[in-house]
Amino acid sequence: MLVNRVGLAIATALALSAGAASAAEPTPAADTKPAAQAKPAKASKAAKAKTAAADGDKRALASARVDGLRAALFGEDDAAAVAAARELGASGAGNAAEPLAELLAAGAAPSRAEASLDALAKLGGGGVLTAPRAFEVLDLYAGHRAPELRQRAIKALGTIKDPRVVPTLMARLGDAAPGVRAAAGEALAARKESAAKPRLFALIKRGDMSAASPMAALATPDMIPQIAELAGSVDDGVLATTLGEYAQRDDVPDRLRVDVVRTLSGMGGAAATTALVEYIASVPSKDDRPSKREAQKLLDTREAAK
Amino acid sequence: MSADIRGAWRRLALLAMLGTVTALSACATSPYKRAGNPGEIASALARSRPAPAGARSLVFLVLGGAGGARIAAYDLAASRLVWTQPGEVTTRIAVGADVLVHGSAPVGPGAGGAVIVARDIGNGAVLWQKPLAADERLAGYDIDASAVYLVVQKVGASKRETSGSVIALEPRAGKERWRHVLPTGRVAGPAVRGGLVAVPVDSQYVILLDGATGGELAQAMSTAEAATFVRGLPEGMFFGSRGVFLLSPATARGSRQAPGYLLAQLPPFVRPFYWYDLYRPEQQQYSAIDRNHILWRVAVEGDRARFRDDTVVVHDYRFLFGFDATSGALRWAYSHPSDAVASTDTGSVIAFVSADGDVAALDRVTGARRYQARLPGEVVRAATFDAEGFSPTLAGAETGAGAAPDVVATLGAIVADPDRRFPDLKLFAIEEIGRQPGREATGKLLDILGERGLTPLAVQKTSEALAARRDTQSADLLAAALRMHADYAEGRTAPPVDFLAKAVGALGPSGRSVTPELVAQLRLPETPTPAAAQIARAMIATGAEEGLPALRDFLTMYRADPAHDADPSALIAAAEALIKLGGAAERRLLLFVAEEPHTVAALRVHLVRALGETDPGAPAAKTAATRAASATSTTTSTSN
Repeated sequence: MLVNRVGLAIATALALSAGAASAAEPTPAADTKPAAQAKPAKASKAAKAKTAAADGDKRALASARVDGLRAALFGEDDAAAVAAARELGASGAGNAAEPLAELLAAGAAPSRAEASLDALAKLGGGGVLTAPRAFEVLDLYAGHRAPELRQRAIKALGTIKDPRVVPTLMARLGDAAPGVRAAAGEALAARKESAAKPRLFALIKRGDMSAASPMAALATPDMIPQIAELAGSVDDGVLATTLGEYAQRDDVPDRLRVDVVRTLSGMGGAAATTALVEYIASVPSKDDRPSKREAQKLLDTREAAK
Repeated sequence: MSADIRGAWRRLALLAMLGTVTALSACATSPYKRAGNPGEIASALARSRPAPAGARSLVFLVLGGAGGARIAAYDLAASRLVWTQPGEVTTRIAVGADVLVHGSAPVGPGAGGAVIVARDIGNGAVLWQKPLAADERLAGYDIDASAVYLVVQKVGASKRETSGSVIALEPRAGKERWRHVLPTGRVAGPAVRGGLVAVPVDSQYVILLDGATGGELAQAMSTAEAATFVRGLPEGMFFGSRGVFLLSPATARGSRQAPGYLLAQLPPFVRPFYWYDLYRPEQQQYSAIDRNHILWRVAVEGDRARFRDDTVVVHDYRFLFGFDATSGALRWAYSHPSDAVASTDTGSVIAFVSADGDVAALDRVTGARRYQARLPGEVVRAATFDAEGFSPTLAGAETGAGAAPDVVATLGAIVADPDRRFPDLKLFAIEEIGRQPGREATGKLLDILGERGLTPLAVQKTSEALAARRDTQSADLLAAALRMHADYAEGRTAPPVDFLAKAVGALGPSGRSVTPELVAQLRLPETPTPAAAQIARAMIATGAEEGLPALRDFLTMYRADPAHDADPSALIAAAEALIKLGGAAERRLLLFVAEEPHTVAALRVHLVRALGETDPGAPAAKTAATRAASATSTTTSTSN
């Protein structure tokens, strides 16, 4: 009976996959770059992902094992289902995503859905999440009413090297749940998605801490004065985190870092001090760059003032 | 006390009162043996010679503020202040030919009752003052060219010892001309018209006196409702309480069936207040009643009466509404930035004065502004108009003349107004917008739904009005509203999707063009569960087959979510939509959902029944449904 049920579930999920696929349509608010604008700098990463995918294919699970894990996923034992999802995620196998996507497409209780989304994220992190069904299902769950499921789906979506995920990530930057916004921001920052900058800046203006790190990762030098101007109208912690992490980036000219360090010092407060300390700590001890000296000098001055 | 019990008490009280009335009027020694005599009423009315409307258009203002308590005369036609005099006004100003009277506070310690003050209309100078004795109570007064008529109650130790009199005084000298002792101490303020003085007594009677001699001419009797007011207008003498009787031989006994009885059809928010209750001394004072009442004039043909132009105007603080008196339909609406403290129907325009010194007049039929002036820097506490027939016709900026106000825009402004004193009025405005034709009204209702701070009842009324209008020409407006969505980054909140979806559903097949927007909302995480249910119902109503993939996704994604255990209505609605709009593939999916043990129990139960009921007679499907039902009961008990 159980096998029959699993069979029916899978057959139904497969037959109706068009439903989940339609979820991949971009939302009206999403505003992003066309896929054609994918960055050339990603070529080497894409090649790495291809290699990983190829490795994943090589590491394919035996079909009998996949069937067994699928049966556990759809079975009545919740603990066994969660364990099966974890095993599939940890396998790094190219064929491990399919049963997870089937379960999600057919609908599952929250514990199973969470485990399956985590497993897909893990597979994505290994670069083997290439099945179209995985994208469709993850895109669908990115709109789930439970924020913890959305957050997991966004994390997993972020690992997919496909520009189709960008509109959903952009839309979720406006999510009501901070965790979902943070996950979307991190995913966009990891993809160096510069189209996300205006929305991240809007979040910074609203004092949203979840946007601080992604903004730091994506900000261009011309944005730094705009961010600095928000001092006084936005929570210091948000600005200090954004500017502090920006200063830590390798690609920032040191002269600009000096300005950023001075801006941080001018802000005052514990958050700015923490950002300065963290910046100094991030610079190798042998590196005596001017911004590091300036940061140390400003810190000393603050100490003395106390 | 319940409404039924109150109603029963009222009926009993009325029966008792009518019994008393009949007994009194039938008794040989009754002071009311003349009551209800049509012939006497006719001859009394024949003696009434109302003066033709003068060319005067004045408003007398009771001013406060930094300048202290003052009384002023303002000439509407010339748009100028004629005079200002210091003075306290305690009771309403009444205006005669060349004299006005008002009440004033007693002067000095131990002073008795009220003081009547007469002033020269030309310059406001005090002509005379008449203080009442300590045991006298002023029931009211009125004035015409010949006299000032006071109704005074002499308060005795008991009800029986309390008496009432009408006193006529020379307008400019204040000397007593005559005094008429009334048959009872229960007396109310008078009204005078063309030398005929009407005085309500004992709640049910109106005694008619000759203004020249004080002789009693006739008695009217109100058998259907109390007579708490009398009012003299150029078109006739009126009395009544809940409604208005034109005094005539036909209404000598106050029957509501008489052709001279008037009662306007008005919406529930309107306080049915036609004139002051002259038995209540507090209503002689300027009060909230002057800001919230019905303005009416009458067209009279013999005994027959109807509201002039079939219109009555409701003054509700800052707002004025023109209604069709027969149907209750709204004709026009006007909103003023501040409270209008006084208003009058001149027969041509509705003139009003606002608390901050605006003086304006609206066309009584169209609501178009026909006059506007301003008293800068003044605080107007109250006002009395003496502007019968005032009919400004000059167009142009100097008179503030303008087009009739846009009803939808005015009603929308009333709903959006932050003034929280008028919840019932706002609900009325919402309903009225719903009744107005055209896209503008639909758009306004959508704007209202998008506003913050509306009460839940106002939101519900708006939603109902939107759905009820079934405006198939405005489906694109609904689509545009549904395209909005919550966005934290942009500080946007979600639109009221459930209400919008309901409105789309009400359009039937004409709403199908809105399906893409409904689908997008169904997929959004912030769309509340009740809204999702409403979307599914709207898709059924519009026949939106293109929404099937979204419905499938919704059902499968949440079918096993325990969050829907308590309220599976959205899942059930989606399942129903799949049954009604889908084909064989959807039925297979639903069968799977019904069989799968993790599916929310209530949804499974519903599906088993629904699939069985909707299967076109295929025995196999019935068997499947039965099997599914059996599986449901098994797994439900297992889960439990």
